[in-house]
Amino acid sequence: MRMGLNNLVGAVVVAVAICHGCGQPPRQHAGDTLRYRMSSDPSTLDPAHSTSTDSGLVVLKVFEGLVQYVPETLAIAPAIADSFDISADGRVYTFRLRQGVRFHNGREVTAEDFRYSFERVLDPRTRSERRWVLEEIEGADQFSRGDAETVSGIEVSGKYEVRLRLRRPFAPFLAQLCMEGASVVPREEVEKWGEDFTSHPVGCGPFRFVSWKHDVEVVVEAFDEYHRGPPKLRRIEFRVFPETSVALEEYLVGGLDVLDQVPPGRLTDLREKYPDEIKVWPILATYYFGFNHEKEPFKGNRKLRQAFNYAIDREGICDVINEGVPVPASGILPPGIPGHNPRLSVYEYDPDMARRLLAEAGYPEGGGLPVLTLWYNTDQGHQRICEYVQHCLKKIGVRVKLKNIDTAAYWQALYAGEPAFFRNGWVADIPDPDNFLYTLLHSSQFGAPGNASWYSNPRFDELVERARSATNWPEREPLYREAERIAVEDAAWLFVYYYGDVAMFKPYVKGIRLSRQGDFAIPLHNVYIEAAR
Amino acid sequence: MYAYILKRLALTVPVLLGIATIVFVLMFAIPGDPVRLLMGQHGSPETEAMIRQELGLDRPFHVQYVRFLGRLIRGDLGRSYRQHREVKEILFERLPATLKLGMAALGLAVVFGLTAGILAALNRNTPVDGAVMVASLIGISTPVFWLGLMLMLVFAARLRWLPVAGYGSGGDLRHLALPAISLSMVYIGYIARMTRSSLLEVIGTEFLRTARAKGLGPRVAAIKHGLRNALIPIVTVIGLNFAGLLGGAVATETVFAWPGIGRAMVDAIRMRDVPVIEGGVILLSLSFVLINLLVDVSYCAIDPRVKLEG
Repeated sequence: MRMGLNNLVGAVVVAVAICHGCGQPPRQHAGDTLRYRMSSDPSTLDPAHSTSTDSGLVVLKVFEGLVQYVPETLAIAPAIADSFDISADGRVYTFRLRQGVRFHNGREVTAEDFRYSFERVLDPRTRSERRWVLEEIEGADQFSRGDAETVSGIEVSGKYEVRLRLRRPFAPFLAQLCMEGASVVPREEVEKWGEDFTSHPVGCGPFRFVSWKHDVEVVVEAFDEYHRGPPKLRRIEFRVFPETSVALEEYLVGGLDVLDQVPPGRLTDLREKYPDEIKVWPILATYYFGFNHEKEPFKGNRKLRQAFNYAIDREGICDVINEGVPVPASGILPPGIPGHNPRLSVYEYDPDMARRLLAEAGYPEGGGLPVLTLWYNTDQGHQRICEYVQHCLKKIGVRVKLKNIDTAAYWQALYAGEPAFFRNGWVADIPDPDNFLYTLLHSSQFGAPGNASWYSNPRFDELVERARSATNWPEREPLYREAERIAVEDAAWLFVYYYGDVAMFKPYVKGIRLSRQGDFAIPLHNVYIEAAR
Repeated sequence: MYAYILKRLALTVPVLLGIATIVFVLMFAIPGDPVRLLMGQHGSPETEAMIRQELGLDRPFHVQYVRFLGRLIRGDLGRSYRQHREVKEILFERLPATLKLGMAALGLAVVFGLTAGILAALNRNTPVDGAVMVASLIGISTPVFWLGLMLMLVFAARLRWLPVAGYGSGGDLRHLALPAISLSMVYIGYIARMTRSSLLEVIGTEFLRTARAKGLGPRVAAIKHGLRNALIPIVTVIGLNFAGLLGGAVATETVFAWPGIGRAMVDAIRMRDVPVIEGGVILLSLSFVLINLLVDVSYCAIDPRVKLEG
C-alpha cells in the first residue's frame, strides 16, 4: 500500500513536470480583430447617458460630433464639422458640416440631425446626465422646463450649417462639444428603439455596433463608409474582465491585445519583462486631499493647511506607492490643461517647515489638535496613500485615523459636508481650466456641483468669473494663473499628484496615439495589427 | 400532497411581499444617492432635480412604496436606473450563466461529496476517514476567490490546459471547468461531512444489522439500504446550498469574469441601481422558496413514510 501510494505521488509529480509549459501555446492575435479589455460592463451605449469610462470606451468609437480632440494635445479639431468660427462676442458658434458623412444605417448626416440630437439631450424625458454639456445654449432652460417647443439658440441654415447661440459668452463651450453627450444620433433609429437605443446604438463613427453580450463583451466592426476612410481594424472586441490581475493573465497568454490597467504593485516587474508593451503617460486629472473650509480645525486656519502640505512626501507617494506613474502636484491644474503653471511650486516636502507652521497655527507639535478623521472611498490604492499620509502627519505630531466607506455613501457624505478631511480626485471633463477652478473651488459650486471643500475666496471667484466670459485665451490665461496661485497659497487643498495612465499593448498593435483624457479615449481608427513575419 | 404544494405556493406571495418591503425600506435607508451616482461627479442641480423627478425619486416614501408594490403585483420589476432596460431582461439574460455555473458546481459537489462522505463513513476511524475529514475541512475553509486564482494560475496561466477566464461561446465546458471546480470545493466539504455523519447514524440501526445478518456485506448494506435512509438531511443541505449558489457566487463570477446574477447584483448595489437590487432579491427569494418546496416534496420520494398534508 505504501509503495503504491509513493508510486502514485511520484507519477503525478512527473506528469505535472512533463506537462509544465505543455498544453496551448500563447494565443496569437486574431487577424484584424483587436481584443480590448474592459473592466466592467458599460451601463449604456447611448451618448446622451454615457458618464463612465467603460461606456465612453465604446461610445467614442461608434459616435462622433461636430468637433473632437487631438489625442496627444487635446487641441480641438473639426470632426463632422468641416470648419467652424466663433463670433467676436463669443456667443455664436457657426459650424459647416462635411457633405457625405453617413450614419451606419446609410443615411447622410445633416444639420437637422444636430438640432434633433441636442434637443434630445436637453429634453427632460431623456433624463440625460449630460444635459450640462449643452445648457449654455440660449433657450435650453426654457425648453427643458417645457416652456418652449424648441431650443431657440439652435439654428439650422440649409442642409449643412448649424449655428449655436449661447445665452452669454462661455469659453469652455467648444471643448464641451467634444464630449460624447454632443454626438449626433439618427432620429429614426432613436424613435425605432426608444429607450432600447442604449443597446442598439447607431452613430456615424469609424466603427459600427455589432453585438453586446452583457457582462461578457461588446463587439463593433469597421464602418467602411466612414468619412475619413475605412478603419484598418476590421473588428474590435471589448471583453469584460472585472479583476485586473485576471485580465493581466489573459493578456499574457494572448487572449487580449490591449490591457487598460496594470494590477497595483506589478508595474515595476512588468516594465522589466515587457518594456516595449508598457505605456505610461500623463492624463488630465488631479489627486488631492480636501479640507472642509467650513469646519474646524481648518476653517480660517491657513497656516494649518499649509503645514499639512509641507508635511507630505509627494515623491514617496508617486515613486514608491504608485511606481512612478503620477507626478507630484504643485497646484491644481495638471500638465496639459491650458494655464498649467510649471513654475508654481509652493509646497516642497519640508517637515521642519510643517512643524513651524503647525506651531504658528496654534498647535505646537500637534498639541491641542484633536484626532482627525481622514475619509476615503474604499479602494486598495487609496488606502495605501492614506496610510502614508497618516504616517507623514504623525511625524509632525498630527494624529489621524482613517475611515473608509463605499463610494456611493462616500459621495453622499462628502457633498453633504460631513468630513473635515477627505480624499478626492478630479478627472477633467474637458481640457479647460474652468473645469477645475470654477467647478471645484468657486463659491457658487458648494457641495454636489463640485466644491466639496466649501472653499470661498472673493478674489478667486472674481478672477474665475471673468475668465469664463473672456473671449480669447491671452485674456483668460493670466486670470486663471492668478486664481490658481491664490488657491494654492490659501492651501485650499492638500495637493498630492497629477494622475498618469498605464496600459499594455501587444507589440503587433500599431498606430496607437495616447490620449491625455485616458486610455478609453485612444482613437482606434488608424490602429492596425501588424501581420507576423 | 397537491394541497400542500398549492398551500406552499400560495404562501409564497406574502413571503415575497414581506421580503420586497424589507428590501425597499433598506434601500431607502442606506446612504448613497442613485441620482448623484448616475450623474457622475459633474452635474448641475437642475439636471439632478430633473432626473430625480423623472425617476419618481422626488416623491414621498409612501408614494414610492405604493407604486413599487403596484408594479410588483403586476409582475413588473421596473427599469434599471443606469441601464435604462427592464430589470427582468437584465436578470433573465444572466440566469442561464448562473444556472450553468450553479448546477455544474452542485453536480461536482454531490458526486464527490457523497462519494467522500460514504467512503469516510464506511472506513470510520481509518486514515481514509481522516483524510476525507481533513480535506473537507480544507475545502470549507479555503476562500473561493483564492482557490479560483490558484487554479487559474496553475491550469490556465502555467499549464495552459484551460482558458484563464471568460464565458467563451455561451459557457462551454472549457470555460466552465475552473469556476465550477473552485466553487464546488466548499460544498463538497459540507456534503461530505453531512453524508458521513448521517450515514453513520443509520449504520448503527437495527434494520441495517438485520440486513447484515441476512448475509449482505457491510458496504452493500450501507449503500443499498442505509444511504436512502440517510438522504433526507443530505438533500436538505444540497437544496439550501443550491439556493445559496444562485446569488452567492459573486467572488467566483468576478474572478472568472462569469456573467452571473451575483455579479450583476453587486454592481447594482455599488451603483445603487435600486430596481435591479429589488428585482434581484425578489427573484433569488422566489428561487429559494421554490427550491425549499422541491426539497420538501423530495422527502416523500425518498421516504414513503413522510406525508405532506395541506
